[in-house]
Amino acid sequence: MARFFFNLRHRPGPNGLAVDPEGDELLDVEQARAHAISAARDLIARTRSDSVRDWFACAFEIVDEAGRHVLTVSFNDTIQDNLPED
Amino acid sequence: MPQPQQTLLRNRLLRAFSADDYARLAPHLQMTELPVQEMLIVPDKPVEHLYFLESGISSITAGGANGRVEVGMVGREGLVGTVPILTGSDRVPHDHFIQVAGEGYRIRAQVLRAAFDDSTTLRRLLLRYIQTEMIQVRQTAYTNANFTIEARLARWLLMCHDRLDGDDVPIKHEFLAVMLGVQRSGVTLALQNLEGGGRIRGRRGRITVLDRALLEVVADGSYGAPEAEYARLIEGA
Repeated sequence: MARFFFNLRHRPGPNGLAVDPEGDELLDVEQARAHAISAARDLIARTRSDSVRDWFACAFEIVDEAGRHVLTVSFNDTIQDNLPED
Repeated sequence: MPQPQQTLLRNRLLRAFSADDYARLAPHLQMTELPVQEMLIVPDKPVEHLYFLESGISSITAGGANGRVEVGMVGREGLVGTVPILTGSDRVPHDHFIQVAGEGYRIRAQVLRAAFDDSTTLRRLLLRYIQTEMIQVRQTAYTNANFTIEARLARWLLMCHDRLDGDDVPIKHEFLAVMLGVQRSGVTLALQNLEGGGRIRGRRGRITVLDRALLEVVADGSYGAPEAEYARLIEGA
């Protein structure tokens, strides 16, 4: 298990990143990706935010406990459910 | 047991009791610590005690396979357990647990029920209190359906601020997600938005209200009507 932090990129620049201070305990990177896709689907489907006009312009920038970049999951990935090559 | 003096109480409902009603019930009030996560009402189990909160916040949540969401909030304006006891139904399907630690006066259900049956003034007050709970819950349904996550968060923070001393609301994003029925990342996003305008300051496990008036602007009309109704119905404002 490892703790992954799901920072939400909603526009460019330092103010466009909503930093996740708590994180989630997950098995591995694949589980982190699945978690991100599921959260993105739910946000797209039923959450309106003053900060976000278009959820599909958003992405989860997932980092580990040390703050190292692990994976970026675009909200677009919810549609194709594709496996991006990053 | 020393009896608390009515004017020194912080529970707004108890303070609104007639002198006679209060005199009858005061000997039965038992001061109780209410630690975080304490279950005051377990779903579908008989309710044996009611709680007049003096401080802290109790959440009512509904949930199942599709997740859990807060459907009601009771603090020092209220009495946890009113509906199942006064209706004689004796239980409810939703849990009531302590979200922010505090203390309160516990009273046995039979004692309150007997007073409710005997006293016209107590009956009138407690039925009005039930109406205020219904108004809050209906407002929450409306707010969850029609408002942005920022407005909903602002309303929730204002409701907590009303019930706490000071400006700090001790809560983790994880629980806030349950309170508002959104993804934790939605909460994080909304907190960032509110922080940007100097309305709150968020730290891990705690949110500080910096500017209530600005929060009310963000709440966009979702906050205030139930609170005014409470003042009118219970305190005659």
